[in-house]
Amino acid sequence: MNVLEFDILLPAFIAGLLVLATHIPFGIRVLQRGVIFADLAVAQIAGLGVVIAGLLDLTDKPLLVQLIAASSALCGAALLAWIERNAAEVKEAYIGLTFVLAASLGILLMSRDAHADEHLKDLLVGQILWVNNTQLIGTAVLSAVLLFVWRRLQNSQNHFVFYALFALAITASVQLVGIYLVFASLIVPALATYKLQQYRVAFAFGIGIAGYACGLLLSVWIDLPAGVAIVWAMALIGLLSALLKRTD
Amino acid sequence: MKKIVYAISLLLLSSQAHAALNVLACEPEWAALTQELAGDKVSLYTATGALQDPHRIEARPSLIAKARRANLVVCTGAELEVAWLPVVLRESGNNRILPGGDGYFEAAHFVTMLEVPARLDRGDGDVHAQGNPHIQTDPRNFLPVATALSQRLAQLDPGNAVHYQQRLAAFNQKWRAAISDWEQQAAPLKGVAVMVQHKGFPYLSNWLGLNEIVALEPKPGMEPSAAHLAQVLNALQHRPVRMVLRAAYQNSRPSEWIAERAHIAAVELPYTVGGSERAKDLYGLFDDTMARLLAGLK
Repeated sequence: MNVLEFDILLPAFIAGLLVLATHIPFGIRVLQRGVIFADLAVAQIAGLGVVIAGLLDLTDKPLLVQLIAASSALCGAALLAWIERNAAEVKEAYIGLTFVLAASLGILLMSRDAHADEHLKDLLVGQILWVNNTQLIGTAVLSAVLLFVWRRLQNSQNHFVFYALFALAITASVQLVGIYLVFASLIVPALATYKLQQYRVAFAFGIGIAGYACGLLLSVWIDLPAGVAIVWAMALIGLLSALLKRTD
Repeated sequence: MKKIVYAISLLLLSSQAHAALNVLACEPEWAALTQELAGDKVSLYTATGALQDPHRIEARPSLIAKARRANLVVCTGAELEVAWLPVVLRESGNNRILPGGDGYFEAAHFVTMLEVPARLDRGDGDVHAQGNPHIQTDPRNFLPVATALSQRLAQLDPGNAVHYQQRLAAFNQKWRAAISDWEQQAAPLKGVAVMVQHKGFPYLSNWLGLNEIVALEPKPGMEPSAAHLAQVLNALQHRPVRMVLRAAYQNSRPSEWIAERAHIAAVELPYTVGGSERAKDLYGLFDDTMARLLAGLK
């Protein structure tokens, strides 16, 4: 690997580490609660906030856009907490419906004007190679705060606390790396280490980090789009480690 | 009864006398050109906005309804609208505007196309068999298109033929003067090395003598690989460029990324009428394009 390639991969890899830092503990909890699609729903609602900010002509005020995205994600979190409290048996159905409604509303709002396709595609595949230092620093600060609050309130029974922290983490990570990678970072490490009694978090981090590293290297070596290459690398590593564990 | 018939026929006649041609323009630049050439003799509707990718829009019912009533469809052609226009035309059930008919006008027929591929491979991304369709970035292309479009308008609306002829003559004169103005302004841009976010500017580069070194996203609509980005940075080390160009409808993040790394200017061009505040008409489009390119040199 030459200097140029390293220079391109390093910020993307750091973005991956930042995403993993919050998503692995959250992912384990999400799996436990059986609300796997909550991240998609929250991400869509946050995206909806960005679309509305765009329609209000606020795109040149990035801080305000982030504020709107975060507040819409928090509204989404409140909705999810309400669903969990009041309709626990059918919560997956409600969460799925929330996702579809938020996504369709976004398309409806954008159908008149604006960069509809481009935005939607960016949100899905993401833009991990385009991250800049400002975004990395912002996400690092946010992740540190979220993890600190999470440690303090980990055992709280309040549904809203969990969903609120989760929603803020997702809002930042989706804009950094896209929904596919957010979903993979949440679910793959948590799922692959599902049966582990000891060192689960450490193994989960190992799988996540290896996934980002291998995906980025594959993107250089065999000329593949980075985001989706990481998704597959992480899934294959997760599968392999789950199989190895079983043969123990 | 007679009176009513008389009144209705009068109404029909009078509406005929004012009858504007219904024109459906695929892109804002052709709507603007039709406006220049026809004035109040046409009623215009534009299918795509300046902030939309004209390759991909959804065929909405309202668009089909407009196509149903259209006397003339004015598009770029060269497969730019291939993803949606054939569906709209078919669903409209309007025989006047089918390809090959008098009511179907393709601007790309009348200009010299660039980047016509010798070999066609869809694996290369959005490749067009008839060449790059983004012809509106060279103002000289509007001259032959205007002549052909004016003839077509006169053919469809012979009663106003003189009007169209006069407006064409006026447009040609004013446009040629504007082109020579822009060319004078653009003198410092000749031979300047630039890079593009995607290959959408061959006509602009050809006109102004810009030297396009490399494209950031070789396959439009596809996230690039890290390997390609390394090649781009490598190319820039050997051949530094002054700026990176992108169209207003495109995501700004890729060009901002490269601008930050390579310490070059990221220049967003309006690309078509309506793509920026100043690009209100065809003249504003190129006034603003020039101003932004020259600002990118600083």
